[in-house]
Amino acid sequence: MAQVISPDEIYTAEVVRPSSWTSYLPAILAIVGALVMLVLRIEIGQRFISDGALMMVALACYIFAALLQLTNLYAPSEMSRKIGLWSAALGVFFNLSSWFVRWVGAYDWEMAKMRASGNLEEPWVFRYIPFANLYDLSLAFAFGAGIATLLLARRRNFQVLAAFTLPLAALILTLARFIGGEFIDLPPVLDSYWRPIHVGVASLSYGVALVCFAIAVIYLLKDKVKVEAMAIWSSIFGLLVIATISKFSVLTQMIYRSGIFLPNAGGGKPFSAPFRLEVPWVGEALVISAVLLAGVIVSFLVYVYHQNETAKSVGHALLKLALIAQVVAIALLVGGIRGSSDVPAKLTSQLAADPSQYVIAGRAIAERQQLTAAEYSALSPVQLEQMGRQYVQMNGERLYLSLNTNPVELAGLLTALAATFFVILFAFRTERLRERLPSLESLDGLMYKTACLAFAGLAMLLITGAIWANESWGRPWGFDSKETGALVAWLTYAGFLHTRISRGWTGRSSAYFAVVGFLLVIFTYLGVSYLLPGLHSYA
Amino acid sequence: MSAIKDTFSPEEAKDLARSGSTPAVNQIVNFLSSVRFGVALLITLVVLSIIGMVIIQQNVQGFDSYYASLTPAERTVYSALGILDIYHSWYYNVLLLILSLNIILASIDRFPTAWKYIASPKRKATKDWLLNQKVSESLNLPADVESAAVEHVKRVFESERLKTEVSESETIEYGLDEEGRKDFSNVVLRKQVVVFGESGRFNRIGAYIVHVALLTLFLGHFVALRTGFDADVRMIPGDESDQIQMIQFNLDKRERFNVQLPFSIETTDIQQKLIDPKGSIDVPNTIDWRTQIKIKDPQYGETVADVSLNKPFSYRGYRFFQASAITMGSARNIDVQLTSQADGSQTTVTIPRNGSTKLADGTTVEFQEFLPDFVFGAEGKPDTRSGEYNNPVAVLGVTPPNSERTRVFAFAGSIAENIPVGAPKLGYKWRLSNYEKSPFAHVLSIKYDPYNGAFIAWYFGGVGLMGALVFVFAFAHRRVWALVEPNPFGGYAVTLGGDTNRNDAAFEERFARLVDKLGTRS
Repeated sequence: MAQVISPDEIYTAEVVRPSSWTSYLPAILAIVGALVMLVLRIEIGQRFISDGALMMVALACYIFAALLQLTNLYAPSEMSRKIGLWSAALGVFFNLSSWFVRWVGAYDWEMAKMRASGNLEEPWVFRYIPFANLYDLSLAFAFGAGIATLLLARRRNFQVLAAFTLPLAALILTLARFIGGEFIDLPPVLDSYWRPIHVGVASLSYGVALVCFAIAVIYLLKDKVKVEAMAIWSSIFGLLVIATISKFSVLTQMIYRSGIFLPNAGGGKPFSAPFRLEVPWVGEALVISAVLLAGVIVSFLVYVYHQNETAKSVGHALLKLALIAQVVAIALLVGGIRGSSDVPAKLTSQLAADPSQYVIAGRAIAERQQLTAAEYSALSPVQLEQMGRQYVQMNGERLYLSLNTNPVELAGLLTALAATFFVILFAFRTERLRERLPSLESLDGLMYKTACLAFAGLAMLLITGAIWANESWGRPWGFDSKETGALVAWLTYAGFLHTRISRGWTGRSSAYFAVVGFLLVIFTYLGVSYLLPGLHSYA
Repeated sequence: MSAIKDTFSPEEAKDLARSGSTPAVNQIVNFLSSVRFGVALLITLVVLSIIGMVIIQQNVQGFDSYYASLTPAERTVYSALGILDIYHSWYYNVLLLILSLNIILASIDRFPTAWKYIASPKRKATKDWLLNQKVSESLNLPADVESAAVEHVKRVFESERLKTEVSESETIEYGLDEEGRKDFSNVVLRKQVVVFGESGRFNRIGAYIVHVALLTLFLGHFVALRTGFDADVRMIPGDESDQIQMIQFNLDKRERFNVQLPFSIETTDIQQKLIDPKGSIDVPNTIDWRTQIKIKDPQYGETVADVSLNKPFSYRGYRFFQASAITMGSARNIDVQLTSQADGSQTTVTIPRNGSTKLADGTTVEFQEFLPDFVFGAEGKPDTRSGEYNNPVAVLGVTPPNSERTRVFAFAGSIAENIPVGAPKLGYKWRLSNYEKSPFAHVLSIKYDPYNGAFIAWYFGGVGLMGALVFVFAFAHRRVWALVEPNPFGGYAVTLGGDTNRNDAAFEERFARLVDKLGTRS
């Protein structure tokens, strides 16, 4: 039977100091274990467990550990605390193992291609280090967050952080799952020893920024920021996600259209088709979610500014309904995509009903052809429509739906869902929860420390990237969108540190800075890759 | 009447306040050097950078189609505001300049205070002051003599890697009269011994090293931008040129200018290493591109160098980088199989691009041209339909001994012998049995940076910045004072106090260890 002890013994032990090297044991074992897995993969070969399977196990461990830590907040138990900690360590172990196994897998994959064509060259092993695309970076990012959590969890009173950081790490791995783990042909410019340095620093500093963000959220909660205010922000985020996905069609047409794939004849990652296909009922479910979230915002604004208790009650009820609606929408989306069949016929009938989609697709095709401004301007709508029709004629029969076509949209919806869930959780016995959290002073100190690390890490990221760019094409800084994104995030953390010095902005003000800093990091990590053109579009 | 006026009207008071306040210049300098102003600049920079990130800039791929999609009004407004090239706009540069000024002034303003910690650390402390530090503790040492107590404290401090200094001083105190007030006629001299220990004092100037590194970075980058330029050059094997092309972006127009080099460059070889040598020469199938160049410099003679991806070559302030390739299919070397018409014997010869070989009978075979997708052109001349290797042909110049050169076509695929280009010639049937794929040309980009501004910026400034940040955040200036006084009840009373500029938790642990080692709490 689990030994139930008082919360004081578990979470309020502020003075508990980590005991020597044994406090590092979970982190050490996770890393050493992953190295053993690497050796086993090399010895056993391709019969060994795949990197994708290991990633899924890591995801399960992170979710399990997060659940235990969350449960522990409300019903403290020494046993579940320990199991939670070791599950997190296991998650880090599988996460890193997946990354290592992928390294060997990438080597085997290219070697098989080279040997099959009679090429006997033996490229250096760092060519295959898994820092080639967003999937690889996501694995490393989640590892960065996991290992930072384990290191912080050395102090018992900080183990509560795992309840907030591990769900985020799990979200990143979920995103990786949607991105798809197909190996890619490495763009030659990435074959540099600077890549592991630059991207390694990126994933670790992103991981630290994530932990800093989690601490900031905990700080705000502890500092008695109203849960309703948090709900307003999380609902705004959810609304923005719903409004922008599917090329803005959800709120304007009440339709959700999913991206479509065209298979890659070379066996690599499939190509994104310039068309999208409607998934039934998802648009309607998302609109209902959006309406409920808007209701949450209005109700809680009334409560926050007029102290209206009825509005508060209504807001909380709407928030719970919004959670249900979001779950239903995501379930419909996943079910709709997975159960889809006869995509070509559906697309044909959709296009017959709305031929203007040919023009939109034609424009996307023209953009990929890198035409000059004059050539692009010269294209008439008829020509664009013709390009779209030609594409369907040539490839229509091979098009298919996949969850991997919309990784950022799915991740956005899941993040919005997680945000709604956490706000509801925070609203449940809030005062009791606050009591369990570490003191404001120690949270502030830890937030400052992690922000310093994130700041230094992002500086290294920028500098190693610039040196690499200078070595590769003599242009250390070109204001590429990813470069600028990282610079903006770094400047925000610089602002965090300097406002502490000049204005004594500690605590809540610092926490807001940390939240903004992490949002910018996430925008650089995902938004820039998927939304903006640039040199880093591969990652 | 007194010379000093002691009553003022409100207006006079305002004037006086103004005249007594800081001069305007000082106010401006104070404002420019304030961290608050620095933070405001950072926020402005962040906002402008986000605008530049979201709106496609003129040198970014995809700009043309974006620019074409803008309405004339949008084009006019965006161009006027410089939004389409925001990072090179005057206001962005001015902002960077003011930020640099802010960093310099803020550093100058605050450096003396920081330097005080190093040059003249506070060695003396009173009991009250010590008890108000971040951490403090009162102890009693069971020593017989003061020197033993001080020595013990010193040793404990040193065991915790603190650099120690002992200072003695005398303080003047006054006795109290019968009513408990200070009796200034009753002077009591009290001897004080303070053991001061510290570590990492140079951490106090870490922030200034960060700022110096940042300024070096800015300055180096500025010098590189102002004194250098970017250009490119097409490298066709066998070609030689003493000119390179500089590109300037002007919205959707790209203007090219020729730049004269002080030397000439000859392309001696280009190679494309492929994953699958039989596959395409597209980027996904490529491991590396290598260009071999020969520099002919009237001043320094000839230099041969290789330029590969991620392996640039520097020469007299010019840096050559592998940039792209013109993917018209060609061959780096070819294997030609010759079947004798006389006896049916077969010979295979390998010929490099622009090279030749000699057969056993003295015939010279030159590799003149490679057509990847052979076709007869409009005038009936041999040509290529595309850059793909659909129907590759090597065009050879064959010169038998004592005879004239004849053009011969060696096809990779089968071709009817009854058409002229496929017919055996000069006693042989010619067949292209193998070839190493290579593009028609490489394009090298060239960065001219006569003062090595980029190198200084990123290797000195950038690496310095990384080192400085590690120095700032990984270390801390820790100070501990111990005031040793005789205890009226025996032994010596020690009042400990300490502070740190970073990492309070670790310092508290260290302080607790010090206390444990020193002895009993009083």
